Amino acid sequence: MHYPANVIPIRVNCSGRVDAGMVLKALEKGADGVLIGGCHPGDCHYVNGNYKTRRRVTLLRRALCEVGVDPRRVRLEWISASEGARFAHTIEAFTDEIRTLGRSPVAALTGGGDE
Amino acid sequence: MSRPKIGVYWAASCGGCDCSLLEVNEQILDVAAAADIVLWPCAIDTKYDDLRAMRDGEMDLVLFNGAIRTSENREMAQLLRRKTRLLAAYGSCAHTGGVIGLANLSDREELFGTVYGEPDRWPSTETEDEGRSLELPRFLERLTPLSETVKVDYIVPGCPPPREIVSRLFSALLYGELPPPGAVFASDKNLCEECPREREHTRITRIVRVHEAEPDPERCLLDQGYVCMGPATRGGCGAVCPAANMPCTGCAGPTSAIEDQGAAMLNTLASLVGTGEEGEDQLAAEDEILAQVADLMGTFYRFSSACSVLGRNHHERR
Repeated sequence: MHYPANVIPIRVNCSGRVDAGMVLKALEKGADGVLIGGCHPGDCHYVNGNYKTRRRVTLLRRALCEVGVDPRRVRLEWISASEGARFAHTIEAFTDEIRTLGRSPVAALTGGGDE
Repeated sequence: MSRPKIGVYWAASCGGCDCSLLEVNEQILDVAAAADIVLWPCAIDTKYDDLRAMRDGEMDLVLFNGAIRTSENREMAQLLRRKTRLLAAYGSCAHTGGVIGLANLSDREELFGTVYGEPDRWPSTETEDEGRSLELPRFLERLTPLSETVKVDYIVPGCPPPREIVSRLFSALLYGELPPPGAVFASDKNLCEECPREREHTRITRIVRVHEAEPDPERCLLDQGYVCMGPATRGGCGAVCPAANMPCTGCAGPTSAIEDQGAAMLNTLASLVGTGEEGEDQLAAEDEILAQVADLMGTFYRFSSACSVLGRNHHERR
């Protein structure tokens, strides 16, 4: 299984563990996009973690729009632990899309209130 | 500490913080009797040159309210940092940027265009008159909380800080019991801990805004669908807003366990929203509820946008 090498995987127990602050931190640290892989609807080991994260991502993408960030930089996909090929394919497609968007404007803009 | 020397300064602020100092009523007389108030622009006449002439560390405590919006705010923050032993970020604007931090969602040019109109009507910061030049402070590109400019010793949160908190600060000063640097004059538990309302942990099936309906005065505001910032906000005010039938708007900032107040509230709200049933067939209905949340930045980040990566316009997409 091959997927683009510019991806930094962060393992969590459940997509429901991913909160909006973690996504923002990734963008702040220089990620051009954040892909969250969750289990398919109905398959959550913790009952409803994937639904929670879906609602969070929905709101977070709207907040990104409000501050002029392209919401395509944050994506949620249903990929179960056994779907290696789908995982690789999704990352490839996401990387391609982010490449067309270019560098994220979020990371470049940290620091004080310069004149 | 013998007779303490204290100062109050206002940067980019509305004046409410200065008024809040008087909410302690007669205790302000005890302060005036036991301490030398050497700086308080809205109450006494101190010149900037008087401050510059002070020894470094000559003042014991400065309560700094307001955010850093202009070059003057920044210069004064740096000057006061040198002249005082302890510096307190007093009020939301100094602490987290405050409501006015939302101005960062627009550029300086957009702000000036809204306020002054066409560029030829914008104020000039330099004026020549009879051969002499006069320079006004510059409007910085971005508003920042005090701690981004200088080291802050105390945080006195709130918009404005409530009476109990101000009174506790003054008592500590008067009895020589000021805490070590790093102290926050509030609780480090969230507001819900001190809220008198009954929590039922129901799912939020619709979002209600304050002008749309009057809340039940006994039940948790979140349970009723009001976006109450309590779960993401530091307690210490006694939950005065929920007690007055208004949702918390988050003025005290987050607890120390939370890095980004708005993100924390977004998570909480998203977790609570639901139709009562869960499953793929409910997703569209959940989206409908989420769509009822208006003005995400103004709701989740009303006081803390200047502390978040989301707190500015990134100009990728409008």
